[in-house]
Parts: sequence; C-alpha cells; structure tokens
Amino acid sequence: MGVENPAEVAKFIIRSRIADPLFVYSYFSQLPDSNYSKLKYIISSSVTEACNNSVLLLGPRGCGKTAVLELVLEDLLKEHPDMISVVKLNGLLHSDNNCALKEIARQVCMEHQLQFSKMASFDENSKFLLSILRECGLAHKTIVFVLEEFDLFTEGKQRLLYSLLDAMQSVSSQAVVVGVSCRLDADQLLEKRVRSRFSHRKLLFLSSPGEDFQRLAEHILLLPMDSRLPNDFRASFNEKLLNILAGEEFKGVVDQLCYSDSTVSHLLRFLFCAVCHMDLSSGSLSIQNFKSALPSIQRQPKQEALKDCSVLQLYLLVCMKRLEVKEVELCNFNSIMKEYKSIPDSFQTCDNFARNVCLRAFEHLLQRGLVSFQDNRGQGQSTEFRPVKLLISWHELQQGLQSFPSCPVLLHKLMAREG
Amino acid sequence: MPSRHSFPAALSICKLQYNSSFSLSIEQLHSQFLQPFSIYTASVSNPGTDMPAFSARRHSPSSDPTSETRVAVTPRKSRLRSDPDAAIASPLRKSPRLCKEGSPNSSPKIEVIRKCLKSSLNLSGSPEKKQLSEDFVERQTWDPREETQLRAVNEALHLSTAPPNVVCRENEKNQILDFCSKCVKEEKAGSLYVCGCPGTGKTLSMEKVKVMLVDWANKEGVQPPDVLSINCTTLANMSEIFSKVSSEIVFSTFTWHEDDVSVILVVADELDYLITKDRSVLHDLFMLTTMPFSRCILLGVANAIDLADMFIPKLQSLNCKPMVITFCAYSKDQIINILQERLKALPYTVFQPQALELCARKVAAASGDMRKALAVCRSAIEMLIGESMLSSVDGTEDQQKPAANNMTSNQVRIHHVAAALSKVYKSPVVDTIISLPQHQQIILCSAVKLFREGKKGTTLGELNKYYVDVCKSTMIPPVGILELSSMCRVLDDQGILKLGQSREDKLRRVTLNVDGADIVFALQGVRFFRNCLK
Repeated sequence: MGVENPAEVAKFIIRSRIADPLFVYSYFSQLPDSNYSKLKYIISSSVTEACNNSVLLLGPRGCGKTAVLELVLEDLLKEHPDMISVVKLNGLLHSDNNCALKEIARQVCMEHQLQFSKMASFDENSKFLLSILRECGLAHKTIVFVLEEFDLFTEGKQRLLYSLLDAMQSVSSQAVVVGVSCRLDADQLLEKRVRSRFSHRKLLFLSSPGEDFQRLAEHILLLPMDSRLPNDFRASFNEKLLNILAGEEFKGVVDQLCYSDSTVSHLLRFLFCAVCHMDLSSGSLSIQNFKSALPSIQRQPKQEALKDCSVLQLYLLVCMKRLEVKEVELCNFNSIMKEYKSIPDSFQTCDNFARNVCLRAFEHLLQRGLVSFQDNRGQGQSTEFRPVKLLISWHELQQGLQSFPSCPVLLHKLMAREG
Repeated sequence: MPSRHSFPAALSICKLQYNSSFSLSIEQLHSQFLQPFSIYTASVSNPGTDMPAFSARRHSPSSDPTSETRVAVTPRKSRLRSDPDAAIASPLRKSPRLCKEGSPNSSPKIEVIRKCLKSSLNLSGSPEKKQLSEDFVERQTWDPREETQLRAVNEALHLSTAPPNVVCRENEKNQILDFCSKCVKEEKAGSLYVCGCPGTGKTLSMEKVKVMLVDWANKEGVQPPDVLSINCTTLANMSEIFSKVSSEIVFSTFTWHEDDVSVILVVADELDYLITKDRSVLHDLFMLTTMPFSRCILLGVANAIDLADMFIPKLQSLNCKPMVITFCAYSKDQIINILQERLKALPYTVFQPQALELCARKVAAASGDMRKALAVCRSAIEMLIGESMLSSVDGTEDQQKPAANNMTSNQVRIHHVAAALSKVYKSPVVDTIISLPQHQQIILCSAVKLFREGKKGTTLGELNKYYVDVCKSTMIPPVGILELSSMCRVLDDQGILKLGQSREDKLRRVTLNVDGADIVFALQGVRFFRNCLK
C-alpha cells in the first residue's frame, strides 16, 4: 500500500467534519454565553432540582436549533445517565391530539420495555400519560418532551399542549417541554390558557456572521493532530489557512454570501463546496477555492439558460419584452412574429429568418423554461396561438445580454429603447 | 398588552444607564417607576454613602440596648451567612420595613420621614417595634450559590407548589363555601359559575373550597358531599361528562341507603371545551341541577364572563340562572401579598422590596396573571445567579467590599427584575429583523414603503418592482424573482410576512404580519434604511 497523499486525507477529514452537525455545533458549546449553555442550564436545573420547566427555541430554518438541542441532550445523558428520558414529537406528523398521545405512549413504552397496544383508546392513553408522569416524578426521572414545529401544534384546540402544560403544574410530575419553531410569534399563537401556563422562556437563535463565521471556519477547517497526517504538512496547511481566513478577500466573499441567507447551514454548504474545489497537487486551500465555490452556491439558473441561447432566441426574447413594455394585451407567437418583422423596418439589418425557423427557436425557448404558456386552457390549439409569458425579468435579461459573448449591438439598442 | 413602545424604550434606557453607573440607574428607575417610594431611595440606595448618615441620625438619641447590639453585630456579618440561628441584620435593612407602615400612595415626603424617625426613635417597648425587631431576627442574607438555599427558594416560587394558605381570595372562597353549604344543608341542587382570566387562582381556590367544605360538613355533623372533579379537556367527546357523572351517582346510590343519598358536588374545569354548536351538552349539564329531585351542585369554571348568558339562554327563562362569581385579575398589592406569603417561610430575604414591587406593578398592568409574576421572579433569580457567577469568575472583588454591601448584593435587585420583565414581555421581532441578511431587510423596507400609502396587501410582482427600485438606489444588484420568492417564503416561515396562495408565483398576496413601526425601529441603525424610510 502506497503512502496516501496527505492532501487527500486532509480533504477527507474536513469533509467528514462538515457533514457532522454535532461537531459543528460543539463550537457553540465552548462559548460561555451561548444558547447552548443557557439551554443546558435550564434542563439540568430542572433535572437536579426536580422542578418543571418549559422553553421555546426560535430562529430561522437552518440556524441550528435542533442540532444544539441534540448536543445538550447528549451531554446531559452522559452526565446524568438514567435520569432523563426523551420523547420527541413533530408538528408535521403528530399535530392531531389522538395521534400525539399514541406516539407519546409508544415512545415511553419502547424506552421502558413495556407492551404497547395499538388498540388503546384516547382515554387510556391520556391516563397512561398522567400515570407515567407521576411514576417518573416519584422515581426522580425527568421526561423531556421535544416538540418540533411547535407552531403546528397550536392549530385547533391545543388540547395536547394544554394537557402537557397542565400536568406540569402538579408537584408530582417532573418534565421539561422544549418547543422548537421557526415562527417568531409562536407563543402569540397559543391560546390564553396555554400561554399562561407556558413559562415564557425564549431562546433566540440569531445568526451574526462576520466575526463569528471566521472563528467557526477556523474551528472546522484547521486540521487536528492525526496519525495519518505528517506534522509539517499539517502545520503549513493550518498556517496558510489562517492567513486566508484573516484576509480581506475572504471577508468580501463571506459578505457576498451572507447577502441573501446567513444561516449556519448555508455557510456549511459553502465550506463544503470550497473544500471540494481544493487542488490536491498544491496540498492546501487557497482563496481561489472560496471564490469559485461562491457561484456554485449562488446559482442563477436563468442566466445559465440564457448563455446557451442562440442569437435568434435572444431576438425573440427581446421582442417579447418590448411587447410587454408596450402593454400589448395578447402576447402569443403571432404577435411576437409581427414585432420581429417590424425590426428590419426601423433598423437596417439582414438578420431575417423565416417563420418556421423562428417557430423552432420559440419551441426551444419553451422547453428551456425561459418562456411558458399563460395557462393550461388551450391545449388543443397549436403553439402559435396560445398566449405566453416571460419567465425572466428585465434586469436578468439585460444581464444575460451583457454577458453573452457575441451579442449584436442592435439587441442592446432594442432593449434600451422603450418604444 | 402593555404599551410596546414605551416599556422597551424605557428599559433600554435603563440598560444603557446601568452600563455607565450603578447608582445613576437606580435613581432613574426609581424616578420612573416608583414615584411614591422616592423616600426609599434617600434611605436605602448606596449603602456606602448614605448609611453612616442615616444610622448617625438614628443613633443620636441612642441610649438603647438594641441599637448598640446592632452596631456590634456588624463585624460578625461574615459569620451570619451560613449561620441560620444568627442574630439581627444591619440597621440599613431597617428602613424598608419602617416605611412600609405608611401607605404607599401617601403624601408629602416630610410626613413619611417623620413617621419613620418617630417609630425608630420609639425604640424599646413599643409593640409594633418589637414585632419588627423579631422579624429582623429571622431575616438574614442568603447565598445564591448555595444549593439547598437556592432549591428552597425555587420551590417556594414554583408554579406547582400550592401555598398552604391562599391569600387574597378569601371573599370569593367564602362566597362559594356559603353557597355550597347552603345547598348541602337544605339538600337542594344549585349551580355556580366561576369565571376569570387565566392565572387568577380559580382552580387553586376550588381545591381549597373542597377541603373547607368537607371540614365544615364534619363540623356540622352533616353528610359531606361526594366530590367529582372533571377537567373538560380530557373528555374525548362531549357526552362523556354525563357518563362520568352518572357513574359517580351510581356508586353513591349503591354504597349508601337510598334516603341517605348525599349531595354530589361536580366541579367542571375549563367548561368552554363543552361548547358545541347547538349548546346542548352545556345546557343539559346545567339543567341537571334544575330537575326536581336532583341533589347535584354544579361548579363550572371557565374564562368567559358571559358564558351563562350567551350560551344557556333557556336557563334564564326557567329562572335558574347559575350564580356567577368573578375572579378579578390580581392588582399590584395582591400580587405583592401573594409573593411575600410564599417567601415568608424562608429564613432569609431574597428580594429587595422595590424589586418585588416593580414586578408586581408591571404584571398587574399587563394582565394580572399570577403565573407570570412567579415566572418573572424565578427569571430574576437566575439573572442574579448568573451575575454572581460572573463576578466570582472575575475575582477578588467580593472580599474587598464591605460586609453590608455583600448582603444587599446577594438580594435580587431592581435591574434583575427589569431584565427578567423585558425578557418576558419583549417580542423577539426587533432582534430578529436586526440580524436578518441584507436582502431580506431590503424586502421588508420596500414592503413598509409600499404599505405606507394605505394599502394593506399587495402581490409579489408589485413587491418585486419596489424591491428593484430600492436596490437600484443603492447600487446593490437585485436578485431575481425566484430568489425573491424564496426569501419571502423564509420570511413567511418566520412569521414576519404572510404569503397567500396562488397558481402563479407573481400573483401571491403579501401582507405584513408585524407592525411597520417595529421594522422601522429595528432598521434605524443602518443609515441607508433610515434615509429610505424617512
């Protein structure tokens, strides 16, 4: 077996780290005032002090709420074995009251190796829930209820939430209810009785890129001590990486990345892409890798489609745009042809194709998805008479024309002239 | 709902000022929230500066043994913390107690000062004074870091611990007890409806009344009634309530002699879960008590004040409307009373009185919900713990502070309660908008501008046009309609915008789900948005 290329090993290590959410979010566990430590304090204090608690985790999708919760639960299970039991419900699956109670009973039975009966009625399941809470309270075992998509549980009469939170008001039970939701006003959706019983603790997961992201990238990308990596390779890789991450160009790339989406999962995808672009022969990451990863994350599918168009198709698109500007009522292939024929009248050009060639080009545009029929009504009619609409905006068309390699000047003039 | 704009603004001012200097913020908070108690600030604020003056004032006519021992006690303060049988507290702590004798809403400062001084001068022999000093014997400092003490405090303030005596609801409990006892004595049936906002102590009072009723029946030598408690949310379907009641009746008829059928007390909690379209279940339930030989007392508990009027009109025509007892939302004084009752059992003071009062005022103004008040108190204790942990990490400051300072610094103070209140009442919308990515902020900005002209909703296509205009004015390249639509969907997921359904993407209706003023407030940190939204 030959010596493995250390660059390959490094790439493998980094990629497996990025794909492991527990590793990524363990970065946040080291910060003192992070949501991880607050959540851990809440749950561990209810375990040790035997009191009930409820908390809501809020934040946009992909910002790590479930991952941090998993991390906290894993750490607590290691610290207090046999004192915590977890029941997980999801609002997409279990928002119906009966369904939710059945699922709670099933999970509890599975954990404690009891016999679960599918035939149990709603009444029996709710009695089972109350008795389980009582027994666990006596045994000093805390049940953690994780309710994902919490806002979906608030539809209807909210019976499940009411019964869970009401049971937590008694001394005999020991439970923590953790709600995870992406709606900021999830607690406003609660009925007033349920809201009164909920403890109003909210942990906001706000992403603040910039300084945070640099440290997160360092945490993920810096190579650890590994037997497969020679020491000097590791040291030089890490040094070059630190230089890149501290540089201005990298900051510019990250800023551009965060314009539209600044959640952690988006940034992780970017890092993965950049590492995949790593050049194995050079043996280290360069700023070029990050820059080339950016367009593959921020794809513009319409621009890519425009790049492949022929000049005739571009003419057709511009004619459609002009028709739209002129606010012509009916836009179908015939009216586009009329507009197209009128161009040689105002401008002297020899680009004049026959009708059937244009029709072929038009059908290609339909297939590419740049143009589509207005509605599905006239399916019996031929393509020439059905009304169509443009699927790209003026700005995108202009950008596409500018980046087109051999765009005739006439097209630019036609775009610019609005009449 | 408290006024959103004044409270967060006031708190943010307090927070800013707290960062600059401690004493300044306390005075500001006092001037804003606790006008009548401004006398406290004079006596209780900075222990370092004011204490010698006040104690000098008080000790001038000295010649009494108690004050001397008090002065002597101070050097032993470091021992007091772990010694539960220790003696009295410092003279500094005297003043809040004293001034509480007077009514909070009075009158000129001078009178209150005079009253304080008078009762303080009237040292040995006066009965109230003796009681106060006895109270002080118990009160001492607590260490938030000690686990048993912390656990005791948390337990005292937890929602699930029912206090041994339920204060502030004596009237209502007596009314219910009178009604029930009358029914039991006359072996008649009757119905009572208890209503009130959530968190006003209805279920708790019902539990106490049940116990009181049994005691009363035993004392009077009357057969105590059978009690059946049902929470209507646990019923799978509405008519189950009748099967539950009938099973209870059957049980009692088989156990007792027929003539001895005792009265049945049915307590139905959360009665509005029984409301159906034709209101038959509720109607029948209340009709149970109007039957000629019925022995059933029905106590219904719900939130709606007019449940009986709106949903059971026939009962009115039959002239057997249930008696209605309203549990009003707690007022500030009641909340303070209840909190102190809970904390009375503890041998140490946890809260500074002003802190308790701030909490009570805010919660009473918002909803009068006792659960919220308890949650705020627990939250404030956590803030104190967090602060003490940070300061112990910082180092040796604690040892250098004078002993008296240590004691007050271990109590929950106003800024802790203020921070806890802001956490409970502040909505996370402003923070979230501030941390949104740039393009989403531009979308929100263009939505605000669009809706400023009076429209309530618009289509995605219109929003796109405004968005492109805003982007053009700052040379930021706008994103295409597809990405705009996905960003709008993300905002809809978060509850900031509301997207309707439509076959075509461009025609989906977009409305703002948060107040435009909140968005303007959140975005004012960025100069571009400030100019744009002017």
